[in-house]
Amino acid sequence: MKTTYSEHHLDLTKQDEQVYSTLNLGPTHPATHGIFQNILMMNGETIVDAEQTIGYIHRAFEKIAERRPYYQITTLTDRLNYCSSPINNIGWHLAVEKLLGVEPGKRVDYMRIIVMELARIADHLVCNSVIGVDSGALTGFVYLFEEREAIYEIYEELCGARLTTNLGRVGGFDRDFSPLAIQKIKALMKRIPKVLHEFENLLMRNRIFMDRTVSVGGLSAERALNYGFSGPNLRATGIDYDVRVMEPYCSYNDFEFIVPVGQSGDVYDRFCVRQTEMWESIKLINNALDNLPEGKFNTEVPAFFLPPKEDVYSKMEPLIAHFKMIMGEIDVPEKEIYKAVEAANGELGFYLVADGGRSPYRLHFRRPGFIYYQAFPEIIKGSSLSDAILTMSSMNVIAGELDA
Amino acid sequence: MEKIELLQELKSKFDRNIIAVDENADIYTLTISSVSVKPILSFLKEEKDYQFLTDLCGIHYPGREKELGVIYHLHNLVENKRLRIKTFVTKANPKVESVSQVFSAANWMERETFDFYGVDFVGHPNQKRILNVEYMDYFPMRKEYPLEDATRTDKDDKFFGR
Repeated sequence: MKTTYSEHHLDLTKQDEQVYSTLNLGPTHPATHGIFQNILMMNGETIVDAEQTIGYIHRAFEKIAERRPYYQITTLTDRLNYCSSPINNIGWHLAVEKLLGVEPGKRVDYMRIIVMELARIADHLVCNSVIGVDSGALTGFVYLFEEREAIYEIYEELCGARLTTNLGRVGGFDRDFSPLAIQKIKALMKRIPKVLHEFENLLMRNRIFMDRTVSVGGLSAERALNYGFSGPNLRATGIDYDVRVMEPYCSYNDFEFIVPVGQSGDVYDRFCVRQTEMWESIKLINNALDNLPEGKFNTEVPAFFLPPKEDVYSKMEPLIAHFKMIMGEIDVPEKEIYKAVEAANGELGFYLVADGGRSPYRLHFRRPGFIYYQAFPEIIKGSSLSDAILTMSSMNVIAGELDA
Repeated sequence: MEKIELLQELKSKFDRNIIAVDENADIYTLTISSVSVKPILSFLKEEKDYQFLTDLCGIHYPGREKELGVIYHLHNLVENKRLRIKTFVTKANPKVESVSQVFSAANWMERETFDFYGVDFVGHPNQKRILNVEYMDYFPMRKEYPLEDATRTDKDDKFFGR
């Protein structure tokens, strides 16, 4: 009886030459950060084929958005890529502003750049430190998360929330940067270069790290473009597509920054592109802080900007305006628009069809993670299981964004 | 000017398949017939450098003759131009040719559109539901399925106390 399995095994080998085993990775596996299921066909340690199952945390955002007033959709965008919610929030505000034809002032633009670049740094910190963890270096992760914590404290100072920020309003911000917030941002900008240098010293030219990441999980530029890659993953293959440069929003064209590109599109290139982007973000934040113009922190968008609380409590017109806005009884033009921003992991687009009513007729989120994750089987074919895990973390697939 | 040239070229090649043109939208918009989706998108990709399929999604206009729509956003990264392409089909025969052989990116986006709107992408290699459960028997983003009224009081829900 003891030999049954091996006999059976041998028989199969005779018939098919090759025996593949099926491995179910996920949905909740400690190595895949989030709820992802992959059914892998393995030949020993090598992956022959893979199929993903997604949708475990689908929350029907596009359907819900069809009955919510515009200002309440911001909270839905929080939950897309929750590692960098402020970019999603501001992206949505920009989309509504495009619909309404509103141009916020320079101060709003610069404040937004500061917030968005902070969010980009927070996102890249998570992604890159997790690449370290998955290749066996936990130390960097612990150090970088301290800085992410500092960024979350800045969010807290700006809007009161940490993860799902609901930061800003259509037309600008609900309040100005407090002196404490500016002080915290400046302190972080002073501290973070040292930490990043340390992290780079730990990994960038580390023999073990390079052995694990160089020419692992690569994809050609042509295939990446065909797969609709965007953001750091596309730039790692050598294509310098960045929405901030191609279609500047929020006065990004006032600033000079480098769009880093890689060559082979492998895990190491993605790591380096993200690392360089963080340095550029630091530069952008410092520039924006130094040149922060005087002016208002919001734009007069009558239908979206709540009147001051003192007035609401004491005067009739502000009370009516406040009530109408909260109930969502506002007019928007009948139009359809597409607005894209460069989110931390690619082009985040909002396709918005407005019929003039209180909520969108149709809202579609172009979620970068959803579009590039479908290339995953093609990338990992022929590689080992441990490399596949590493490839997945380097692609920065966020479950919230994937499943909407 | 370029847009007019592009339109003329498309018209000379695909003639009656170009149904409408919207020049006032934020992105130049063409409405094309559902049978010409694959040839026109392949032409734009191969000859006109629209290599990047930014987005693909569905839409539902109840009451129209052709109720269901599919909207493609293309991006020419060389000249940095965007193009929006729309096509509409009837609910009884919602067939659109799949472009997943032209753009690999379309694979999941078409599955998503099938999942939520029931558009049948002919020639899709693996057309099945992607975000919803497989045994779902309706297409939830269609307008005949409204969201539940948040203020309803007739429901006895033990868990959420409504």
